[in-house]
Amino acid sequence: MKILWNWLLEYCDLDRAMTAEQGAAALTKAGLEVEGLTDLGAGFSGVVVAEVVSKKPHPSADKLNIVSVITARGGEVTEVVCGAPNVPAPGRKVLWAQIGATLPGGMTLAAKPVKGVVSPGMLCSEVELAIGDDDDGIIVLAESDTTPLGAPAQVAVGVDDWMFEIKAPANRGDILGHVGMARELVSIVGGRVVLPNVDASAFTDVDAKVGFAVEIADATRCERYVARRIRGLAVAPAPRKMRQRLRNVGVRPINNLVDVTNYVMFELGQPLHAFDAAKLQHGKIVVRNAVAGSKFTTLDSVERTLVADDLLICDGATPVALAGVMGGLDSEVTSTTTDVLLESAGFTALGVRRTGRRLGLHSEASHRFERNVDPAMAEFASARAAFLLGQMGGQIAGEVVDANPAPRKLAPVVLRHARLHAIAGATFAADTAERILRQLGCTIEASTAAELTVTPPTHRFDLGREIDLIEEVLRLGGYDAVPDTIPRLRQAPALQAPDRQDVVRHALVQAGLSEAITFGFTSETRVQSLGLPPDDRRATSIPLKNPMSLDQAVMRTSLLPNLLGAVARNASFGEHDCALFEVGSVFLARPRDPSLGRDAGLADEQHMVVGVLSGKRPAQLAATTAWDVFDAKGFAERAIEAVSNAPVVSRATATVPYLHPGLAGELMVNGLVVGHFGEVHPAVRAKFGIDGPVFAFEIALAALPSAAPRQMTSIAKFPGTSRDISLLVDNSVPASRAAEVVAAQAHPLVQSIRVLEEFRDAKLPPGTKSMLYSISYRAADRTLTDADVETVHTALVKQLVQELGAQQR
Amino acid sequence: MSSPDSSSLIAQLDALAAQFEAAVAPLVDEQSIRAVQAQFLGKKGRVSELMKELPKVPPAERPAVGAATNRVKQAIETRVESKLQELASAALAADLARSIDVSLPARPAPAGHMHVLTQVRLESIAIFAELGFAVASGPQIDTDWHTFEALAMPKDHPARDMQDTFYIADDVVLRTHTSPVQIRTMLNQAPPIRIIAPGHVYRRDDDPTHSPMFTQLECLLVDEGISFADLKGVLLHYVRRFFARDLAIRLRPSYFPFVEPGAEVDMECSFCALPGAATANAWGQPLIRRDECRVCKGTGWVEIGGAGMVDPEVFAHVGIDSEKYTGFAFGMGIERMAMLRHGISDIKYYYEGDLRFLRQF
Ligand SMILES: [Zn+2]
Repeated sequence: MKILWNWLLEYCDLDRAMTAEQGAAALTKAGLEVEGLTDLGAGFSGVVVAEVVSKKPHPSADKLNIVSVITARGGEVTEVVCGAPNVPAPGRKVLWAQIGATLPGGMTLAAKPVKGVVSPGMLCSEVELAIGDDDDGIIVLAESDTTPLGAPAQVAVGVDDWMFEIKAPANRGDILGHVGMARELVSIVGGRVVLPNVDASAFTDVDAKVGFAVEIADATRCERYVARRIRGLAVAPAPRKMRQRLRNVGVRPINNLVDVTNYVMFELGQPLHAFDAAKLQHGKIVVRNAVAGSKFTTLDSVERTLVADDLLICDGATPVALAGVMGGLDSEVTSTTTDVLLESAGFTALGVRRTGRRLGLHSEASHRFERNVDPAMAEFASARAAFLLGQMGGQIAGEVVDANPAPRKLAPVVLRHARLHAIAGATFAADTAERILRQLGCTIEASTAAELTVTPPTHRFDLGREIDLIEEVLRLGGYDAVPDTIPRLRQAPALQAPDRQDVVRHALVQAGLSEAITFGFTSETRVQSLGLPPDDRRATSIPLKNPMSLDQAVMRTSLLPNLLGAVARNASFGEHDCALFEVGSVFLARPRDPSLGRDAGLADEQHMVVGVLSGKRPAQLAATTAWDVFDAKGFAERAIEAVSNAPVVSRATATVPYLHPGLAGELMVNGLVVGHFGEVHPAVRAKFGIDGPVFAFEIALAALPSAAPRQMTSIAKFPGTSRDISLLVDNSVPASRAAEVVAAQAHPLVQSIRVLEEFRDAKLPPGTKSMLYSISYRAADRTLTDADVETVHTALVKQLVQELGAQQR
Repeated sequence: MSSPDSSSLIAQLDALAAQFEAAVAPLVDEQSIRAVQAQFLGKKGRVSELMKELPKVPPAERPAVGAATNRVKQAIETRVESKLQELASAALAADLARSIDVSLPARPAPAGHMHVLTQVRLESIAIFAELGFAVASGPQIDTDWHTFEALAMPKDHPARDMQDTFYIADDVVLRTHTSPVQIRTMLNQAPPIRIIAPGHVYRRDDDPTHSPMFTQLECLLVDEGISFADLKGVLLHYVRRFFARDLAIRLRPSYFPFVEPGAEVDMECSFCALPGAATANAWGQPLIRRDECRVCKGTGWVEIGGAGMVDPEVFAHVGIDSEKYTGFAFGMGIERMAMLRHGISDIKYYYEGDLRFLRQF
């Protein structure tokens, strides 16, 4: 919210004078963070208040005048050329930008001839000083203006001030006005609050009546309703300084009537509403809930359909305002209004918020009501507005209708000193809490050595509990007064399994891949880019109800699309060789599951690992060898082994829609599929604009078994030996088949079998390939003899030839 | 047949020595040298053949011949050793004559890069582990109840305006903070509770300092006798360990519905120092003058998160007795910590998968 420093100071009698910077620092330290501090008068300089002495026509231009001005009584008379149509009569004050003055936009004035007459500067309009939008003529100060001649123009127009942009806590409705902020400043630095003048007796017709009764149907929604009647008002612009203050806090001035209601709202935090009394027919204001489905046209000319929860202000039975949110079009004050019914009410917060949110209406008034406006302030604010309107010519009715069925009284709260000290971790002097709470306007009902009984002031709704008082004592006593301590560890932390996601991250980084982190949401186009069939759970993404863009409209169901996006993006920057992985969540839709209790509607969130390889492998000089499918397989196995420490078996698959049907495999641990690897389907990568092949792997972390800590196996004491075997087999026989055959024999002397070569050649019989394997043999208790090995090897070869349908070569 | 005299035999032995030298001189490998050695000194070698004549020598002269034989044998053996030595020296010299251009690039060892946010997260976990905090986690898509209501932010609470929320359904949201993990943990575990919960969170915000997804680190400690001073101590420990510098922290009163007293946490700027104070941090990284610092704009403070004492209303939602137990909680942005330590200028770099960024860490 915006607060003007000098405006604020009007309501403070501070124990010590402060600069704006000091004030900002004090407020910030007490939790009212001043996020911006603007010198409102910094836009121009060298512009002074001058009095018109005389004017005469310019000798050679019809529309120009030569205006004589002075900046001091009896001072030097200067002639300034002016083109404005509204040069005032002698004796009125204008704003003269002298030679050397700088104006908003950075222009510096020099003496310059205007149609042959040299003008020492210019007389300024609102637009030229960037303080308003009146461009029809120069600024002429009101006859009543008391700014001395020669004073800076900033003083005369009300921009000799600082604007604070304050981050107001959501629970502090009481500081959403300058008087409220003054109370806060006074509590922080010491002093007292000076309330504005409300003595309107000079403008009051004591016998005049309001002419309206007030009926509140539901006091839980409207705690108080004060009505005043002001007649005989001439709608005109408000005084310049009032208008300027409103502009400075971000409100466009309209006319004296509307401006006064806004001014009092920014002054006291109490929203007011002015009805054109001539447009009200029934002599009775009724505050009641709407009839569901009924229509009401707000003053922004929008017809709104209401629900029973909405609160209405009615003229008899006719709705005239949406309480606390927006007035109605039909009872709006206009430039011809002379007779006003002024509303100052206490609408309760939640109702205003519900209606405002439902209709998408947020106003300065609703913003305040949502944060709690003190009903105790309603009458004072009404009186203050009446006083200001009276000053502008209004006749105030002596009668005030004040419907205040059950004045709110805040309950006393007990503050235990021991609790204060326990929460703070520090002890305070015995009277500290009492002093601070009194400063805040609290009444100390009772004080013992152990506790205080405290009634907060009516505007501090937020002080209903002991902890609220403790916070106030700490806040104003200063958080800096609390020491820093390390909390005692009473119990060792619970057992924790290693985080599998981090285990995989470490393994893949060690293996040479780099980790990417991409957004959890993505576009539906990317989800569909994988070409998943409709019955695949990943084909149905979870949409956001209120996305910011189509690129972030749905939750990702696979990590692959965002990583392919990263590959494409890197390529566009000339980085064609990518080796990236991501470990993270994908979000799969699932039917509501009532057995999950509160979590019934949550997604099935699964942790996945995906890696992508494009371009070439790292090399010493020019990289020449491209990544291939077996790199993807190798990284995948490394990740799986890091988590599971179990052998990984692969077999071909042609059923993963986003992988090349001939260049893809399933990864299996203990007979269960845990992931896939292969070349990304050329049609899929083409959708991302990727030119070359991309190899990928993906692993479902939840599918992986956990590994116990690795156990050492004994180191062989005797040397082993190996025999090679070359087999001609059908192309359809997987290389891994030989290992399965050898494993099935489970011969104690056989250590391992390794593929040495896969050879395909036109000279071989069609449809066959030649496989070279090496089988290792070792005995734990002796050095093997040739004879030992020969017997086993011959048997194995025979088994292989038979089971693989092979010929030995 | 005349008996050979000793001088003739000795002369023949000497001639054998000369012949050996002639035979071995051109040889360049050990195998041929050993073969020639055997030709002369073997059991049927030429020296042995000659010695068959020895019995014919008069006994008085035999010792002289024997001595000559030993001398020649010795000479040949010595020559074999020296010849082998020469060969070894030549081979070593030839090997040492090789040279390369060491300025050519290295053959790359596997060089993957852990994302800087992961590095910061893991290091933060380790620092909090020193104080006994364990890691907890929760879903990124969470219920409105866990995310807001149980944290004292009912549906119509104005504080909800502070965090613009992505909705999945009316009662399901993308969590806007990691605080729902507090709720899940307190529902499942009795005090003492000491957890940190790092994780992705989402807000409808997108500008140079905000990203619609970012990473928070939540910390919660609930036990008997936990105070605001403990909150300060834990924060201070973390900040000092993470930045390897004796930095100060400052708590400023602030409002979050789920903590009271609540605070914004400021940390002394890690980039700069007052004139006359430290000129480098513990890593030797130079610090700039505070009045020239653009990170803290010369104020010396940077905001790193929100904190406070767990509000009794939150304890009521999770069934913890707020008279017996007190607790503190804080949350901070991991991106922010990474920015402050590594000088990262724009939050968007974290999520683009751009190798030019990832490779730097
Ligand atoms: Zn700094």
